[in-house]
Amino acid sequence: MRVEYMPDGIFLPDIGLWLDPDVPVPAAWISHAHSDHARGVHDTVIVTAITAQLYRHRWPVPPGRTQQVFPLNPNESMEWNGATLTARRAAHILGAAQLLVEYQGERLLYTGDIKRRTPICGWPTDPTPCDHLIIESTFALPIYQFLEVAEAQARIANFASECLAGGITPVFQGYGLGRGQEIAHTLALHGIPCRIHGAIAALIPYFEAQGYSFPRESENGAILLTPNAADQVGIPPSKRKSALVSGWAALDNARSRANVDVLIPYSDHADLSELLTLVAECAPRQVDIVHGYAEPLARILRNRGYSARAALVAMEVQI
Amino acid sequence: MDQLAAAAERVAATSSRNEKIAHIADYLQTLNDADLARAVLYLSGSPYPASDPRKLTVGYATLRTALEEVTRWDPETLSVCYREVGDSGETIAHLCRPITKAEPLSLGQAEEFFELLQRTRLTRSKIDLLIRIYQTYSAPSIKFFVKTITGNLRIGLQEKMVEEAVALATGQPAEAVRAANNRAGNIAKVALAARHNQLLGIEAALFHPLDFMLAQPLDQIAELEDPAQWYAEDKYDGIRSQLHVDNGRVKLYTRGLEETTAAFPEIILAFTNLAGPVILDGEILSFKDGRALPFHQFQQRIARKKVTQKTIDEIPVVFLAYDILMCRGEMVVDQPIERRRALLEGLSLPHLSGQTPVDSHGHIEDLFLAARARGNEGLVLKKRGSVYESGRRGANWLKVKKPFATLDVVVTAAEQGHGRRAGVLSDVTFAVRDGERFLNIGKAYSGLTDEEIKEMTRIFRAGTIERYAGGRVQLVKPQVVLEVAFDGMQKSPRHKSGYALRFPRIVRWRHDKTPGEIDTLDRVRELFEKA
Repeated sequence: MRVEYMPDGIFLPDIGLWLDPDVPVPAAWISHAHSDHARGVHDTVIVTAITAQLYRHRWPVPPGRTQQVFPLNPNESMEWNGATLTARRAAHILGAAQLLVEYQGERLLYTGDIKRRTPICGWPTDPTPCDHLIIESTFALPIYQFLEVAEAQARIANFASECLAGGITPVFQGYGLGRGQEIAHTLALHGIPCRIHGAIAALIPYFEAQGYSFPRESENGAILLTPNAADQVGIPPSKRKSALVSGWAALDNARSRANVDVLIPYSDHADLSELLTLVAECAPRQVDIVHGYAEPLARILRNRGYSARAALVAMEVQI
Repeated sequence: MDQLAAAAERVAATSSRNEKIAHIADYLQTLNDADLARAVLYLSGSPYPASDPRKLTVGYATLRTALEEVTRWDPETLSVCYREVGDSGETIAHLCRPITKAEPLSLGQAEEFFELLQRTRLTRSKIDLLIRIYQTYSAPSIKFFVKTITGNLRIGLQEKMVEEAVALATGQPAEAVRAANNRAGNIAKVALAARHNQLLGIEAALFHPLDFMLAQPLDQIAELEDPAQWYAEDKYDGIRSQLHVDNGRVKLYTRGLEETTAAFPEIILAFTNLAGPVILDGEILSFKDGRALPFHQFQQRIARKKVTQKTIDEIPVVFLAYDILMCRGEMVVDQPIERRRALLEGLSLPHLSGQTPVDSHGHIEDLFLAARARGNEGLVLKKRGSVYESGRRGANWLKVKKPFATLDVVVTAAEQGHGRRAGVLSDVTFAVRDGERFLNIGKAYSGLTDEEIKEMTRIFRAGTIERYAGGRVQLVKPQVVLEVAFDGMQKSPRHKSGYALRFPRIVRWRHDKTPGEIDTLDRVRELFEKA
């Protein structure tokens, strides 16, 4: 099956399907609801039910337009232009999924954004053997090593409790969808109150619907902001400390880049060891690498005997 | 080393100076004497005290070769890792974490390893030793062991703060610890003395540079309140230096506390017979026919790697003394300036800076003009009765200089900074305009706020034309206009413009100007001619 890497996204010309395109297209698979993957209103979308809700929240269909939504939940399959599409769970954010495309006896797996460890909020990854793997590489260097979930949660809670015990306000930075809710849920599990930025709070109902708890609001608790809002916290520097919960927090230079005190290396992406595990579990004949350290990961995989290459725009691949 | 690493991480995790010092002080209190001595050294970023002439000759390449062999990562992957992390110790620790036995490393063991690395001559043996360390000890220990080798912990901790932590941990006044360390150049010895209440017994160590006393700028002579309280001396355009003499042994140190003895053999010769121990403060100048040569001529002498007799004949140098810190073995920094001057004159040195008591603003103005006419930079005013304040830029010394014009320039290339600025493009190369072309004229590192550097980095990253030097340096679209100040200008083949600025520094970001409005090469020529 042919795969085309286009400026606007990945295209499967044999079955007329785009994977996470940047611009409106006739038909798209959306792996998850982050806005660099789910953007624009496509005529037809194939998504998990949870991603459909989050995507709809962020990209309402404008009046006068219609959009056909095919819900495809994990381990459900559907026929599409001669191919069988199957959703497989992806550990990333709530609702994230991989897409398995079976076409003329060949198995193509598109992971979307993914990790191998289980997330705080979300489901685990379903390892899926395939012939042709398209995988991300956001943190595909050996310097990135992330915490186990329990350890990350313990550090989040300890940082908050220690600050509060010392009369200091703990400030967290988290993205509007995913990390923000994971931090808030972790604080709730430890009974730590928290004021939450509107962009993060707006999506909490979708998480509550999946059974996650959230902390009560209090003036004397933690503060959770989106990175863009982090400068507007309104508390003097001597009265607050801030933590970055992110894959970038694996490196000390994140401290000055993000202007934070404490680094907690936890990500919704895979670190290199997770990526190597994932690739081994997929056992593909060909690996195409997108998003991130694509060239370095391709080299690392080739040194391990895989046929791997960085997927560049305007490249067409067929195996 | 594990506890030191934990303390260092606590230091890194706060931006408050006081908290950093408190974390170090808490840690130092838990240590026995031997470990206290080691810890303060390593926290200051060196396995040896400043006054110790030993050097640990373990270069970046050696550290990296050992890493490559032990982790089996290919060179390209390692290069990307180094670039992203921006610090050897941290990179090595990350990459060793999955393979090391993670045993704790005691400070005593660390000292033994530094010793072995120092004594081992063969690079191969150093690599083997490093491999053993990388395979055996915990990642945090490796991180700070290597950072001690590379000489910068990058946790926002300067030696001055270690001194304050020693003071806090031992209950001694910070000033006393500071002064003792300045005298002895040995923070380990000072920490022990502080703990055992013996700071006063710390003697000055010859052949270890003391901090220089610095002068504050005085913009307008008329601003000076009581002119009759001051002495005036010419301000020379040379290399500020400290000269140590004892028993035929002579050494020179710069303001950066680097030793420069080998570059100036005729000075060494001239002072060999001086009865020591003596420490002088003064200026190295190229002196010909009774007056100092301009700096750009003198600079040709500094640029020479090897000093030949021909060089010495063409551009002879002298040490012009203007203060004395130690006289016949006795520290005299706490003596008033008049007493120090008398001691200095008593040495009958061949070159001594003139000192004139002044009585009025007009008098200073005359002296300033006379100094400029002699080709000197201006004046240094020294307060009557003042002591020598080592390491301070206090109000007792004032410098009067003619300020140079500033230039508006555009940034043409940006480079990743170091340490705290490893993640941003803080080092910039800039150019002036010549018609349609931009010609580089210099490079600057500081003068902007962190916020400005961050914003500039975003602009540079978006406007990158080409990367080289492994991605560290990026040629950028000329769009960011800066105003730069500088202390002088000279002809230079190094930059396309044909000129180089002396001590360029960024004054401010000219958001209001476009690259089309910056200063031209003609303007540069005009400034050069005037100077």
